[in-house]
Amino acid sequence: MAASTFRKSRLLLPLRSALRDWRREDAQTFIYIIKVLIACLLAMWLSLRFELDQPRTAMLTVAIVMQSRTGMVFAKSYYRLLGSIVGIIVSFVLVAMFAQERVLFLLSMAIWIGFCTAGSMVFRHHQSYAFVLAGYTICIVGLPATIYPELTFSIGVTRISEIMIGLISASLISDLIFPQRMGEVLTAAVRRRFKDFSDLLRSMSIEKISGPSSISATLRIVSDVFELETFRASSGLENDESRAYRFRLSMLNSEFMSVSTSFHTLEQLLRRQHATGHPVVVSALFNIYKPLKEIISIDNRSVNTEVEAQQIAAALKAFRATLPQQLSAIRKNLPDGLIAVERLDFETGAELLQRFIDELYAYTSTYASLSDENTDNRKDDIAEHPPRLGMHFDPLAVSLAGVRGALSLGAMACLWIFADWRSGVEAITIGIITSTLFASSPNPSKTVKQFIIGALLGTVLVYLCNFQMLPQAQGFLMLSIAVTPAIALAAWLTTRPAVATIGSGIFIIFLMHIGFNSAYSANPIVFMNDALADLLAIATSGILYALIDLTTSRWSRVRVSKALRELVVSACLDALPQHPARLEARARDLIQRLSSDRHVADTQDKEVIDWLLSTLEIGRAVIELRDQMNEVKVSEVRDSAIRQQLVACLESIAELYASPSTSNRMLAIAAINNAATMLEDIAIIANLTQFTHHQLLTMLHFIRCALLDEDSALSLQAPMPSNRQDIAYAA
Amino acid sequence: MPREIALLDALVPTLLFAFLISVFLSWALDWLFARVGLYRHIWYRALFRFAVFICMFSALGLLIY
Repeated sequence: MAASTFRKSRLLLPLRSALRDWRREDAQTFIYIIKVLIACLLAMWLSLRFELDQPRTAMLTVAIVMQSRTGMVFAKSYYRLLGSIVGIIVSFVLVAMFAQERVLFLLSMAIWIGFCTAGSMVFRHHQSYAFVLAGYTICIVGLPATIYPELTFSIGVTRISEIMIGLISASLISDLIFPQRMGEVLTAAVRRRFKDFSDLLRSMSIEKISGPSSISATLRIVSDVFELETFRASSGLENDESRAYRFRLSMLNSEFMSVSTSFHTLEQLLRRQHATGHPVVVSALFNIYKPLKEIISIDNRSVNTEVEAQQIAAALKAFRATLPQQLSAIRKNLPDGLIAVERLDFETGAELLQRFIDELYAYTSTYASLSDENTDNRKDDIAEHPPRLGMHFDPLAVSLAGVRGALSLGAMACLWIFADWRSGVEAITIGIITSTLFASSPNPSKTVKQFIIGALLGTVLVYLCNFQMLPQAQGFLMLSIAVTPAIALAAWLTTRPAVATIGSGIFIIFLMHIGFNSAYSANPIVFMNDALADLLAIATSGILYALIDLTTSRWSRVRVSKALRELVVSACLDALPQHPARLEARARDLIQRLSSDRHVADTQDKEVIDWLLSTLEIGRAVIELRDQMNEVKVSEVRDSAIRQQLVACLESIAELYASPSTSNRMLAIAAINNAATMLEDIAIIANLTQFTHHQLLTMLHFIRCALLDEDSALSLQAPMPSNRQDIAYAA
Repeated sequence: MPREIALLDALVPTLLFAFLISVFLSWALDWLFARVGLYRHIWYRALFRFAVFICMFSALGLLIY
């Protein structure tokens, strides 16, 4: 009996696990498709019921804002509404001013489109989308209005009503039918990130650091930070979690940024010392690091949940408390034969390790505090607000994007005016949509290629629907059946990241040309003309993306590297107080704009990533150095001398990062050497607190090591001369 | 109540204002309910919110028509 049950359950086991897999993966997709369908049909029914001119706008709105997560739908809806309202108001203004003059009208439109494209590059995600909409709404409302100026107002009002209907249907359906909350995604993302990071920490070893650092890990860390920020912002609209929870997530993000930088810096330092320093120093530092691997793992694996992280936070706290004793014990045991520079190597490493462990503890304890739901406000009251992830962009790239948007409008408008082509309006609209919508995508040319496939498929589908099915459809039910296959197909495609753009191509083309308004209104000749116009417009914007390539080209990488170096310059020279977290956010933002894709890793990317790491490393060290400099009191002549020497160091580092060259690199190293020698002076030591002196010395040494490193990003443009040993330790 | 209101000389249905008012009211109520902790006793939060909104909107609509 027991045996047979056992056998039965064994037989059922694969079935059950298959069912579980199905529920986790396919069922979600299935539910999503059903949701899109219901929302689309609801929007269609409502618009038909209210006798609005173009039910297709409502349906298109649904198609655009629908996403699997409820919070994302809310966020996108909100920005779509904002963008449309702004676009409609601007088209009223333009029509009022230039209704009779289409050239002037198109010119001012081109300026507006350029402005909006630029805006969509500056902002991220949904905000960026609002700019896109403000741009192309003007085509949808403004262009028909130039033909019938007296109807402008009613076109605008109808359009906004249709959009509202679409937004309301989409939000309602995604909130009411199998809602998928952002909370789960957020928790999963936070957990995965902590696990990934502790895997990284656990895998560090002497053998590993001698190899090159992994680009993909760094890129993933960068994109994780921004992904989480988007999730957090969208989940705010769902209104489910407490404010304190979201605040903690924000803290977590900024703590993660600093701890990952520290870890990387530590890795680099150990790599350098492994290459050039005394082996005893490296192994001593590793002996301090080793217990950490044990501490952050439970049962020899990384932590999975917040509850487990609480244990780790406690263990880390204990470890942190014993660290100074351990350090002094190890310091005593260092062999006597070490020269001063090697001792300094150890001190610098120890300093960095301490900082790293402090930050790791902060990160872990914030992560652990996510689990206790009863509001633990202690931390929130004391901690200052984490710095916002601001907008940092390259003005030249953004203005070029604006020019590109305006050019594609210009090309289509010329075609419209000179060929006197009736579908010119259609061509302009699609041209603007494609040239603004994909401006912020990581690889616009590729995206446009996919979109054009989607447009072709959509054209075929809409042809079948308009001329085979709709003429025979009677009543709402049959209308729904006629439009269902295409919508379901497109919705299914949008759930697969690899072909999502094809799906949205089908959506946009299919819903823009679907052959009914309040009544059946498809006309084969107009349809053919419009279909041609669509393809032509998409191809034009594809060509423009290829011509003005702002994301994948060598040029853009050089620009980003330069912008990263500028950050170091500003850290060296700008007024205090400087915030390390702000530096981190800026640097990462620049990188993230370059590649939101996770799997871009060619040699050019490696160069940019190297610059990022070098920027973070040096920038943070410089900021700390300057903080310590403030402690130096300028009461005596000698003190002011050391101060001046430190300022000279900063200036030479800034000079090096502003224009990297071998001579500048040598000058910077020489300046640091001078300052370090001066700090050895007994008279100066007497005037500084021991702590400040120690900090200044280790920071200077750290920067010197980083500048001396032959494998750093600097070496590409400012290679070290061959007789470097003489220069390095001349002091 | 008039069914349409002239807003800057554009005739706007009064129902739109009823809609906006109930949106704001339901936001306020939502905040209040979350504050009081009412949502802990409710099985389907979104549906409840929607139902509250529909109740308010219909009541206002009936006042107009």
